[in-house]
Amino acid sequence: MAEPSGSDAQFIARALVTGDRHAFAELVKRHQSSVRACLRKLSAGDHALADDLAQETFILAWRNLASFRQEARFSTWLYRIATNCWLAHNRKRREELLGDRVDAVADRDDDAMPLLDAMQADHARGTTLKLDLERAMGALSEAERAAIVQCYHNDLTHEEAAYVLDCPVGTVKTHVLRGKQKLKAALAAYAR
Amino acid sequence: MTTTDHNVSSPNVADDAWLDDLLVADGVAQRADYIEDAGFTARVVNALPSAAALPAWRRPFVFALWGAAAVALVLAMPTFFVDLLGTADGLLSLQPFSLAGIGAALAAVMSLTWGAAAWSLRESR
Repeated sequence: MAEPSGSDAQFIARALVTGDRHAFAELVKRHQSSVRACLRKLSAGDHALADDLAQETFILAWRNLASFRQEARFSTWLYRIATNCWLAHNRKRREELLGDRVDAVADRDDDAMPLLDAMQADHARGTTLKLDLERAMGALSEAERAAIVQCYHNDLTHEEAAYVLDCPVGTVKTHVLRGKQKLKAALAAYAR
Repeated sequence: MTTTDHNVSSPNVADDAWLDDLLVADGVAQRADYIEDAGFTARVVNALPSAAALPAWRRPFVFALWGAAAVALVLAMPTFFVDLLGTADGLLSLQPFSLAGIGAALAAVMSLTWGAAAWSLRESR
């Protein structure tokens, strides 16, 4: 079936003015892959969580469509909502863990398995670079991971990444630099 | 983002080249790897909240509130509003166009505007 023609702006206007769900569905269809891929990276490969957050992202976009001022591309605006959903989910999860200290300690023990040891074990098993990169990304702080995903995986400029992350451009650059330093240490075995 | 932008703040540009290449390649692979919809859009559309979720009394209540505020304002400053109406009437009687003419011009402008909006928002078939 042929994809309906029209720009994002036309579909946004139709969804806004007439509340046309079909127009919004077309926007979802166009952007679902990139939003889900971004969230899969942010959630370190947890596809089920990424899809739940992607659904939440589009529902929030529908609710707040009137506040989209075209100051950025629609896709960039969606990345911003998606990143906020992911950060909110992490915050909620941390609060739940704090509410149950015993579980938190148990989880921390599991997570405390040294990254390098795990990766060396993977090397011994011949695990791929892609998996190592995913694991190394998972060990970064939220801000570092978000900055690297926006700049490298979503192919945004530092300015666009700053809009998505709601922080100054200099902060984005700092997070990217720190994240890369950590990745460099974790993936040193792949250095040429 | 272009590959040259990535190293802007890195102090060890040459040392980081392999990592940059790795991240860029991973990003390119991710963007090329289209995730099939597989019912995702349908699930989102089914979960969208409906506009009718707002209580039915909300809109008339808000209108009534604004109306009451306007009446209260007129009652609070009657002379100001009488003067205002008198001035507006004087200005209208001085201008060379009839009220019907102005109304017709406004109607034409509005129909043109709404026509253009309807044209740009028409269903793409």
